[in-house]
Amino acid sequence: MYAPATGKGKSGQEEIITEENVFERPDETIAFFPKQVLYDLFISTLILIACVVLSYVAPAPLTEPADPATVTYVPRPEWFFFFYEQMLMFFPGYALIGFGAVVVPTIFVMLLFALPWLDRSPHYSPLKRPFATVIGLLVVVTVVLNMLLAVSRIINFPGGE
Amino acid sequence: MIGRIRSQAVDTSKFVTDWMEHRTGIVTMMEHFLYEPVPKRGAWLYTLGSATLFTIVLQFLTGILLLFYYVPTTDHAWDSINYIMTEAYFGQMIRGIHYWSANFLLVVIGLHMAQVFFSGGYKAPRELNWVVGVVLLLLVIVLAFTGYLLRWDQDGFWASVVGMKIGSYSPFVGGPTIHFLLGGDVIGPATLSRFFAIHVWLLPAVLAPFIGIHLYLLRRHGVFGNEFEYSDRLAKLHERQRLESYERYEENDGQPYMGRRDRADRNGDEDEE
Repeated sequence: MYAPATGKGKSGQEEIITEENVFERPDETIAFFPKQVLYDLFISTLILIACVVLSYVAPAPLTEPADPATVTYVPRPEWFFFFYEQMLMFFPGYALIGFGAVVVPTIFVMLLFALPWLDRSPHYSPLKRPFATVIGLLVVVTVVLNMLLAVSRIINFPGGE
Repeated sequence: MIGRIRSQAVDTSKFVTDWMEHRTGIVTMMEHFLYEPVPKRGAWLYTLGSATLFTIVLQFLTGILLLFYYVPTTDHAWDSINYIMTEAYFGQMIRGIHYWSANFLLVVIGLHMAQVFFSGGYKAPRELNWVVGVVLLLLVIVLAFTGYLLRWDQDGFWASVVGMKIGSYSPFVGGPTIHFLLGGDVIGPATLSRFFAIHVWLLPAVLAPFIGIHLYLLRRHGVFGNEFEYSDRLAKLHERQRLESYERYEENDGQPYMGRRDRADRNGDEDEE
């Protein structure tokens, strides 16, 4: 029988831990199969059940057929674009909207790509690298706040401004 | 009788397994994949990544099923979706799963990303996996945007009009990109065809290999999880480094280091050598 979760560099003798291999194998391990697979299957099943139930409780929306001739329709983006739409409210007018719509998100995505090279601190724990943690929390708070602002605006002006 | 059937079945399955192993190496591969040791403590937290994968798989499967009925023309797109919702067998469920798992996908992708960010999982040697992850995030966002128009209902139509108006503000590239997406100057049949091609063919074809790279890099470097998973190993590393620094001090000074507590251990080590 295959011995589960013995790990790579642990064949009989004690492994010498260096800076390079310290993060190669956690202290306590479980085998990917079956334990982690069962955890994953459990969450996946919950998601599937939620999707099936929601598809009958709250069916996927389908409004009237598209009519390019309408002029009064107030479109709403999907909820995951709310924060983006709300952010655009802070860049009104033709001079600024290009900046808010494209330049700011592009810079943000560039920073996301560069993140591993921006945060060069040797620490991993969020408490030991406060700068990255604070920036990350600020991003989360900004996105959530903007979403809430968008939702409150939609509740306030159901027919649009 | 039953015993003979059973032993024959065992022989047959062993023959098939050996045959496959000899030709493809699949049994060794499965053992390698299935018995990989993974962190124990945060096992529930690390389901976020697999939940993302699962919702993407749901997107692929239900998307393929929707294609059996969906017609990407301005005349029939809305009607075909209406047919799926009202007439087709399990149509409401299939479209519902496609719609709701897309929403869940964006939620779990955000949670997965936050977990990796706050645990420092993007650090060396896992930088490129973070970069691939950001590419996957952007692909999923564009998929979500292009899927909205395919309904060809008022919501999807006008939201796409606004979205492309916003995109046209981009300096330099905005105009030509939007012209290409629209397939002309105004939104119309060509736009629907292009969004359909992008949503159904282009982006899934790009997404799939990037998921492959993401998983390959994950297996290559192992799940990182969290620094807490490695506290014993880190403690051992620091202990060894401390002892080495004492030894260096003694070698340089020729004096025994008075502060050290492990005199006996170290003498024992020297006797062995």
